[in-house]
Amino acid sequence: MILKTAWKNVWRNRVRSLVVIASVTVGIFAGVFSVAFMNGMIAQRFDAAIDEEISHIQITGKDYVLNNDPSIYMNSGDGIVQTVSVIPGVEQVVVRKMITGMAGTASKSAGVQIIGIDPDAEKRIFKLYKTIIPGTGDYFERESKYELAFIGQDLAKELNIIRFSVDITVLSRLGEKEVPVEIIHKLKSISGRRFPNEKKFTSTVTSILTKRELKEYGQLIKEEAWSYRENSRMTLTFLDKDNNQVSSVFRIAGIFDIKNTMFEQSQVFLRNEVISRLTGMDESSFHQVVIRITDIRNSESITEDIRSRFPELDVKNWKELQPDLAMMTDYVHQIYGFFMGIILAALAFGIINTMLMVVLERTKELGMLTAIGMNKRKVFSMIMLESVFLSITGGIAGMIAGWITIILTAKKGINFTQYAEGMEAFGYSAHIFPEISTSFFVMVTVLIIITGVVSSVYPALKALKLDPAEAIRTE
Amino acid sequence: MKILELKNVNKIYNGSEVHVHAVNDVSLEFREAEFAAIVGPSGSGKTTLLNLIGGLDMPTSGSIIIDGTDLSKLKSSQLIDFRMRNIGFVFQAYNLIPVLTARENVEFIMSLQKWSKRERDERTFELLKAVGLDERADSRPSKLSGGQQQRVAVARALASKPKFVLADEPTANLDSKSATTLLEIMEKLNHEEKITFIFSTHDPRVVKMAHRVITLVDGSVATDEIRE
Repeated sequence: MILKTAWKNVWRNRVRSLVVIASVTVGIFAGVFSVAFMNGMIAQRFDAAIDEEISHIQITGKDYVLNNDPSIYMNSGDGIVQTVSVIPGVEQVVVRKMITGMAGTASKSAGVQIIGIDPDAEKRIFKLYKTIIPGTGDYFERESKYELAFIGQDLAKELNIIRFSVDITVLSRLGEKEVPVEIIHKLKSISGRRFPNEKKFTSTVTSILTKRELKEYGQLIKEEAWSYRENSRMTLTFLDKDNNQVSSVFRIAGIFDIKNTMFEQSQVFLRNEVISRLTGMDESSFHQVVIRITDIRNSESITEDIRSRFPELDVKNWKELQPDLAMMTDYVHQIYGFFMGIILAALAFGIINTMLMVVLERTKELGMLTAIGMNKRKVFSMIMLESVFLSITGGIAGMIAGWITIILTAKKGINFTQYAEGMEAFGYSAHIFPEISTSFFVMVTVLIIITGVVSSVYPALKALKLDPAEAIRTE
Repeated sequence: MKILELKNVNKIYNGSEVHVHAVNDVSLEFREAEFAAIVGPSGSGKTTLLNLIGGLDMPTSGSIIIDGTDLSKLKSSQLIDFRMRNIGFVFQAYNLIPVLTARENVEFIMSLQKWSKRERDERTFELLKAVGLDERADSRPSKLSGGQQQRVAVARALASKPKFVLADEPTANLDSKSATTLLEIMEKLNHEEKITFIFSTHDPRVVKMAHRVITLVDGSVATDEIRE
């Protein structure tokens, strides 16, 4: 009966209750969606780091990572692979050769890390081959009489391997993507011209479009006008095992785009045998062994196992390789909890205020209830339940609204192309797919109930202090 | 059988400058099935006396003994529980819970006492029938007239089968017809359920129907007339 009465009491002043419920709804919706957004961003960054950059565990020669010295390598790569492969929980193992050097074209040059790989074996660990920009080539699949290099989009831009042009095909694609006719008409004025770099293209487009048009369609136009210079070449210069400078010309095998500027700018992939041949390194010597495991939760125990087998080598798991990522994933739930806690604390003040008004307005009734025998515990429970009902009703509405929005946005993602440059500089994609776990909703529900209970304490104590004889006389 | 006894009860309100002796050395006894009215001019101490009898307020001195229990010996929580089980209240302004129906208002106190659903339903139906509102059981107080609301309040007061019912000016807000109906119902219940009714009142109709009339003047019992 107390439950029923409390629920009915919530609707005694509909407008006031609806205002409180609406504020809780908006607060919870904002919290849930923001957390889903952050969660999606972190999850995408995590997946990208593991699947495209570092995998789960890496083995290098002692202090190789610290000194980046190519002379620190492992002689018996195959032996290590055989030993590691049979450790329970290890899924795939690949070896890499790594040297530093300069990549250059006729107009630009840049310092890079050159990584020797076995493309077929790498596919079993990394998904870089899935991130090739259409039309830019493939993942070492075609036969070529030239040496091939697989590079990132940002290095391609840096070396002027890409160009910009607005031809008929680009204009037609823009039309399909609902770019207004007047903009397409303006772009026709530069049709046929080729721009050697992004800066020149941007400068020209800026001169023919309005600010508003640029803001709305600038990024899309840039994405569509971008093209790869077929059969582009670049020179790689590095030191061989005897410290002699070696240069060789490479054709671009393909260009990958993983939305991580630093990685894209600094990594160049070649076949292992090409590095062996050019540097004189032994075929069986490697700088790095990369390991993928079946369950990431075992990464620390497997790392320890490998360390005990190879005490002379550096063995690092993903947490040690990217401590910032480890911190985010380890504390992400505490951060979400804290974030929701702040939102709920703010909402709690609104609920306290409302419940104080409720107690003030119902002084006479509360006095009567005490007079006829409703004890303090039950009076407290009734006020508390009203507060919990207010918060939980708004909370559920907010969670449903958040959940629906997450489902709707998770399909196509939310595109922040205007901030792409900044976000990709930190390794984050500008195309976010919000996601959230069921356990988060459970946590939010518990937090909402706690908020309701905590918010009711002060008003309920006020109600308990009422003197029934005086309260009944209240007008 | 004696159910209520007041022994030399005093109630003094101490203000910053003035001390008010609201109840002055009152000693009274009430027996089962009495229908008693406490009358007196405004400020004579009727409501204060009723609050003391109902355990809503504590006397400055003296004792109030209900069915062998001295109220002053009970802790606050015990007193609330004691009130629930032994005393029914009818207030001048009805004081029903506006969000509950007539049936739910009557049931409320029984649910506090954890009566079973079947027992609650039976007792509620019985009482609402007794006060002539069984057909308005599902109406909220706002849909009932003042007289009907006060009849629901009487049913609620009797719900937990108390030793006695205290009614503070129960007819003060009612028209003549409603007041007469209410008094007839209360007298009938007093007779049938053997429950003592104690009213504080100004209403001559109540006084006329009362079997016992206690007159208070300046907080003291001036007369205590028992009618046959």
